[in-house]
Amino acid sequence: MNKLHFKVGLFAVAALLLAGIFMVYLLHARGFFEKTYHLQLAAASADGVAPGVPIVFSGIEIGRVTTLGLNDSGGIIIHAEFFERNAKWLKENSTFTLDKPIVGGAKIRVDSPDLNAPALPDNATMLLLSSDISKEIPALVERVKVILDNVEHLTRKDGEINAALANVKTVTGRMTGEYGMLESLLGSPEKARAVTDSLDKTRALITKLDSLAAKTDQWLFAQDGVAEQTRASLVQVQRMLNDAPSSLKKADTLMTNAVEISADVKEGTQDIAALRAEIDDAVRKANALVNEINKKWPFARDPEVKLP
Amino acid sequence: MNFLAASIESLGAKVTGWFTVGYGMFAFLVQALLLLLDRTTWNRATFDVVVKQVYFTAVQILHVFLGYTLVISWLIITIILSTARDFGLTEFASEMTIRVLVLELLPFLTALFIALRSGSAINTEVALMQVNNELDALAHCKVPPMQFEFLPRLIGGVVSVVTLAGLAGLLALLMGYLAIYGINTAGFEPYTQTIAKIFDFKIVAGLIVKCALFGLAVTLIPVTAGLETPKKLFMVPVSVLRGMMRVFFAIVAIEVVSLALKYI
Repeated sequence: MNKLHFKVGLFAVAALLLAGIFMVYLLHARGFFEKTYHLQLAAASADGVAPGVPIVFSGIEIGRVTTLGLNDSGGIIIHAEFFERNAKWLKENSTFTLDKPIVGGAKIRVDSPDLNAPALPDNATMLLLSSDISKEIPALVERVKVILDNVEHLTRKDGEINAALANVKTVTGRMTGEYGMLESLLGSPEKARAVTDSLDKTRALITKLDSLAAKTDQWLFAQDGVAEQTRASLVQVQRMLNDAPSSLKKADTLMTNAVEISADVKEGTQDIAALRAEIDDAVRKANALVNEINKKWPFARDPEVKLP
Repeated sequence: MNFLAASIESLGAKVTGWFTVGYGMFAFLVQALLLLLDRTTWNRATFDVVVKQVYFTAVQILHVFLGYTLVISWLIITIILSTARDFGLTEFASEMTIRVLVLELLPFLTALFIALRSGSAINTEVALMQVNNELDALAHCKVPPMQFEFLPRLIGGVVSVVTLAGLAGLLALLMGYLAIYGINTAGFEPYTQTIAKIFDFKIVAGLIVKCALFGLAVTLIPVTAGLETPKKLFMVPVSVLRGMMRVFFAIVAIEVVSLALKYI
């Protein structure tokens, strides 16, 4: 066996094998063994789109633009190709957006919100949306400029922000004093002290009121309290009222007697003075009784018993 | 006036010299190609010499060459990847790696490698044969030097450069995959996508043609340079020097033209 020939043969076989494997791999990679799916994208403008522009799904390239052309009504028709293995990402509700980043080439982004939606058929036509960042930049710059002007105006020397910050500084400086937040709100330690003093006084007052309420309670509702005494007085009044008719009946009797006596006055004029004193006494008693009742209970405005 | 005429004359001599060299090479190449088409060339003896040439040019140095490829690929891939990461362009790193290494740098380095090792040897050998009248002796013995000495060297050179550049490219592809995605199959799909994007038919054909031209340059130019050697021993180093300079310029010219065709 020729060693040299063997080595060269081995080298040749290995090289051919690797070349063959690479060729098959390359053909697979380029979709030679697969069906190619076609897609037409209708766009308003083909600006930035050229053959070879990638179509990406979730950042992974799944297809490429092959040709560009105009249709009969002057619209742009972009033809794209996909391998069979990638066509499954295209759904009927997919959206196609043309992305033109500031750095890097343009690409068409596919968004398929619902992967369970029916697949897009071959040779379908979809609409191509455009999100052109570079067109928005001038408008954005204008707005940013206005904002920056405002910021500059606000932060100028002796501006509002500076004054506000100075005030904040004063307030926070006061906060670090003995009376903290209170001092920062009221402006000086003296005022803050006044507030704390009045708070202390209020507390003392409340304590006193508390004890007063307890005492009142005792005075009103305890055993031998005011309420109890009032009830007893009422019973007394009732009794006095019960006595009143009998006293009045007595007076009536006396009056009858008086009429009889007056009839007999001629015969008993010597007894008239004693009688008169007795009647006066009875009337006075009645008056005193009525007064006393009135004192206990406010019944009538005209308590005087008048003699005829 | 005399000076101007002299300079014009020397320029004319140089241009004539270049044309003579170019024509000599072209005539030699045509002769070799015509011989290649001749059925009588394809005999056992010629095949044996071709096998020997492939052995000496490619197989004998394979381990050294692959080690060298491994180191240079790893270095360049690492540099490209870290730079791409720094600039936030990682998505372009794999494409960049493949384009720089597989399409440009590795074929170029392979050609230089073969030129330095085999081209210089061929040049010296042919120059010595020329000086020692061995070529005339061979022709006299009905052993045409073109068929048994020069054509096998050309074929060996072309086959070696194409194969070695291909192996180096495959190794670099593997290294690139490992450097970018690590030892797992997660990146297979995107990497395949990138490879598919780069290697279209034109690029693959262009790469093979470029490697074949490199192989031709590193053998054809030394052979013709050796054949030009005047029959004086001290002219041998001069012949090698000239031959190697021409090889270098030819390799650079091929690379420049291929780049221009690809990107301009």
